[in-house]
Formats: sequence, C-alpha cells, structure tokens
Amino acid sequence: MKQTVYLMAINEALEEEIKRDEKVFIIGENVQQGTFGVTSGLVQKFGTERVMDTPLAETAVAGAAIGAAMAGFRPVADMMFADFIYIAGDEIMLKAAKWHFMHGGKVNVPVVIMAAMGGGMKIGAEHSMCPEALIMHTPGLKLAVPSTPYDAKGLLKTAIRDNNPVIFFYNKGLLGLPGEIPEEEYLIPFGQADIKREGSDVTVVAISRMVHMALEVAEKLKDKVSVEVVDPRTLEPLDIDTIVESVKKTGRVVIVDEDNRRCGVTAEISAQIFETAFDYLDAPVQRVAAADMPIAAGFLEDYVLPQPKDIEDAIERVMA
Amino acid sequence: MKLEKDDLILLYRNMVRTRKLDELTIKGLQEGKVLSFYHSGQGSEGLAVGSAACLRKDDYLWGHHRGHGIGYLIGKGLDGKAFLAEHYGKVTGSCLGISGFHFAEPEYGALGAAGTIGSQFPISLGWGLAAKKTGKQQVVLACFGDGGSNRGTLHEAFNLAAVWKLPIVWLCDNNGMAQYTPIKDTYPKDDIADLAGGYNMPGVVVDGMDIMAVYEAVEAAVDRARAGGGPSLIEAKTARYRSHSEGSPDVSHTVTRSEAEIAELKKRDPIETFKIKLLKQGVLTEEMVDQINKEADEEIIETEKFSLDSPPPEPSILNKLIYAE
Repeated sequence: MKQTVYLMAINEALEEEIKRDEKVFIIGENVQQGTFGVTSGLVQKFGTERVMDTPLAETAVAGAAIGAAMAGFRPVADMMFADFIYIAGDEIMLKAAKWHFMHGGKVNVPVVIMAAMGGGMKIGAEHSMCPEALIMHTPGLKLAVPSTPYDAKGLLKTAIRDNNPVIFFYNKGLLGLPGEIPEEEYLIPFGQADIKREGSDVTVVAISRMVHMALEVAEKLKDKVSVEVVDPRTLEPLDIDTIVESVKKTGRVVIVDEDNRRCGVTAEISAQIFETAFDYLDAPVQRVAAADMPIAAGFLEDYVLPQPKDIEDAIERVMA
Repeated sequence: MKLEKDDLILLYRNMVRTRKLDELTIKGLQEGKVLSFYHSGQGSEGLAVGSAACLRKDDYLWGHHRGHGIGYLIGKGLDGKAFLAEHYGKVTGSCLGISGFHFAEPEYGALGAAGTIGSQFPISLGWGLAAKKTGKQQVVLACFGDGGSNRGTLHEAFNLAAVWKLPIVWLCDNNGMAQYTPIKDTYPKDDIADLAGGYNMPGVVVDGMDIMAVYEAVEAAVDRARAGGGPSLIEAKTARYRSHSEGSPDVSHTVTRSEAEIAELKKRDPIETFKIKLLKQGVLTEEMVDQINKEADEEIIETEKFSLDSPPPEPSILNKLIYAE
C-alpha cells in the first residue's frame, strides 16, 4: 500500500486509463490546468489530444463527450462544479441516459461525466450542490460517489470501463483527504457498499463527505452507542442488500446525505428499507439531509447543510 | 464528382420513393397504424436525397425531423421497411418498435435521432470529434431546421467545431416555419447562413427545392470537411407543404395558411421540377417516369405488408435495454 490523497487517487485513475486505452480522453473547461487538481499534470504527459481544454460551453463539453462516446470513444468530461450539469441537462439526462434504450440497444454511450459536488466551502447556492437525487432518479445513468482515495480510484477506473454513462461525483470537501491505496492496479465493482465502521446498535448509511462526519460522530459516541457506518459508494446501482443486512442486525437506522431531504437520496433509501426490512426496525428510520432550500453562502451554509450535531441528534432519536 | 445519367435517375427515383413513403406514413397515421407522431417531409425531398447522396456509408448522419429523416436514409441507401415498422410499433422496426419514430442505423452512420430540437448541435459535435480523432476522413452531415437554428446549443457547437476544424456540414432545412411560428418573427435577418461568418466558416444559401443545387453545395462542403478544412454551414430554402405534424392545425401563429399559399409553394416542387429538367435533357422519358412510379408503388405495398405482418415487441425486452452489457 502507498499513501496518497483523494484528488491524486482520481488523477492516478485517469492516468492509468488514458495509458491503457487509446479511446480514453479528458475534455472540459480548464482541465489542462485543473480547477480542483484532479486532472492536473496529465496534459504534460499525454498531450492536448488526450486532455482537451474547451470554451466555457457546457452543452458543447457534454455533447462532444457523449457524441464521441456513441462513436466509439471513452471520454471523461469534467464539468467542474456538479451544479453545472444542469446546463447540459438535455445532453446528460436525455441523450446519454436514454439513447441506448430508446434505440433498441443499437448505440452505447460509454462516457464518464465527472464533477465536484458538495458544500463546506461556503460558496453558495450554485457552487455547492450534491445533485445526486437528480441522477439517481434518471433511468440509464449510473452514479458513483466515492468517500475515500481508495474508493475514488477504484470506482473511477470501473466507470471508465463501463459501457454505460456514469456520473462520477467527487467531493470538493475531500480533495486533500489522505488515505492508502494499493501499489498494484485494482478496480471496485459498482453496487457494492462498504462497511466503513462496524457496530451493533445503529446503522448509519452515509454518502461521500457525510461518511466522515458519521465516522466522527460514531467515534465521539462510542462509549454510549455502537454505530455501524455503511457507505453505498454507488447510488445506482444501489447495494440495498448490504444496507438491509446491517439494519437487520442493528434494528435502527439513520441515513445521512448532503443532497436535499425532499425526494432526496435519503428518502429513496428510507423507502426501500421500509419496504424490505420493516419487521426488523425497532424505531422509525431517521434522515439527516440538506434543508429544502437553496444552499446559503457564508456563515449560514452550516444552517442548511447537515452537521455532526444533526447526526448525533438523529442517533439519539432512534436509540430513544 | 460529375453525376452520370444513372446517378441522376437514382436521385429522381429516391425522391419519388421518399414522397410515396411519406404519403404511406400519413395514411398509416390516419388509419391508426402509426402509433406516434408524423412530421411530413413533403417539400424537402430534394434536400434530403440530394445531400445524403454526397455521403459515404460510414459518414455520420443526423437526419432532420422533417419526414423523420427518411429522405436522408433513402439517399444513403436504406429502404423504408425498418422505418415504417418502427412507426407501426413493430419489433422489426429500426429500434425494436420502442422509439416511436427515432431511428438508429449505426451501419449507415445514423447513431440515433432525438426528441429535442437543437440537441443535434452538441451531439453531432461529438461525432465530428470522433471522426477527426479516428482519422478515416469521415464527415458528419448534421441537419436542423429554421426552428432549431434558434437554439443556443447551435452557437456552442458552431464555435467549437470551427475552433477544432471538425469535419461537419451543418445543413439547415429552412422551410420558413417552426411549428406554428414563422422564422421571420424569430430571427432578425433574411439568411440563417449569415451565422457562419461569426464562426469563420463558409456559409451559403441554396435553393433547397433544386436537388442539383443542393448536391453541388453539399458536395463542396463535404469535400472541404474530408480534406481537413473544417465545418461549413449550408442553408437550404425549402417549403413545408403540410402542417407541422399530421393532425395539427396548419397555421402561421393563429392564421390558417391558405390553399393558394400552399399551391404557390408547390410550384417549386423538387420532384416535379427535376423530372421536367431530366425529361428535357433526355435523361428520362415518360415511360421511364411511369416505370419508376410503378416500382415505387410496388415497394410501398411491400413495405406496408412487412410492417403489418410484423409482431409488436414483448415487454420482456425492456429491462435488458436500460443498460448495455
């Protein structure tokens, strides 16, 4: 194993896949310099044909990647902020998501759309979103939301090799997160949740940056409550089996996510638990999510987005 | 490429086949056999057949939604069987009968058709990028209408295609009407081709009712793209004989288009004017015209029978189509 950080794990996955497959290229605004560092340094190694800077034109970026994918390439489009995928809604939600299905399976769209999601930087309503539910709601799109360097590298390599469109949301709040990854090549299959901490009293299902918040709370409460933290790692496909297994063991569950509460990821997972494991629950499912309002910039961001105290309170409620 | 006598006859024949298939699809819709929409392409046959005739089989094609692209596909060498069966919702259709009217014929470079107008710009851009990266001198014929020209996606794609010198021919079928709204009320100039100047690419206006004018303009743009010269814009002035979609009112804003107005448009009919020209030149005789029409009628009967005899798809196919293996 070797030591790295989250953004470098993503960078390594890109480097390895560009080297491995001549059909892979990166495209996006300022990807040569790299806004968040995840693509930095690659143009020097692979040239401008493989790491393509574009105009500030999201529909052209997404369309170029998605169109090239239909024609046999494996592009990785970096949309910079996850909020910006809305600009290319037709290209991502309609074309990439539907064209394999609606054309009777005649066309594949092996594209990766990556973008940085998440709050914590206090930069406001259009630069802090986690639009996970939007993607999860759209049939035809896969969605990876890694929380660690290990998961980020392994999931991105799988995403690039998948024959379907994959949305890969890395988290701005985790870019510098240290962690270990193997020296040798590895891939992480989609649809396999990871138990980030074992416990017996309550299951906390947490996603992306929220995994670390949940782990922090679990550590704080360890003398009172034994918390199990389950990280789905991909939301489509969703490994509901691992979540339900954990719930059967603990009988209590809190779901934590940074997207909105209403019709959000927490709502979907909660519904699936109620549908499949109702008889095992000792308390109603509790949810911790962003408030149903745009994300305030500045000091009030903390008021909108989930905080450790919210998770602590939710655990208290299910344990009561 | 200079067109020989046989090439000219084929252009005429393909326009006749396109028109008859259009009429058959309208009949199918009226009889309840076509399950979704039909946006007739009558008036645009010369543009569709003439432009597609400039393409290689492996060139990419984004057909225009007028006539649901059938003129372009026929021009590229396909027949109408999978097209009509798709409209009939049959499993022998282009997309197993589940796309409604959005064909995909990847062997002919047609990677799909969209339900959203204006999406051709960014996606064709991607096809052009792939063509350039692949290096086999493929080109993209990306068609759109005067309505589509109002989308912002046009500008993002025109810009990037020009910056990267992608092998794309942007072909505008300007029939003057976007559903119920005339282009004169949605665009401030006379010619959409003028947009090309802003992106440093050639922009030409042609008579879209004259198949030879179309052929010559598209051929020049295709040659330029194939040689690495980058994109071009061609605006073809055509006419729409029928309403936006079958069964919808044929109005300009709220005013019904008059019979006299439509009759005036039909004076420029691409099939009739080309026929007269070829008869004058001695390329065609009246007997040959009759024979071509007779064969096209026989093909239509066969095409309809194929669609009627085909079964609908089974629901079990759907789950398997959400994701590729």
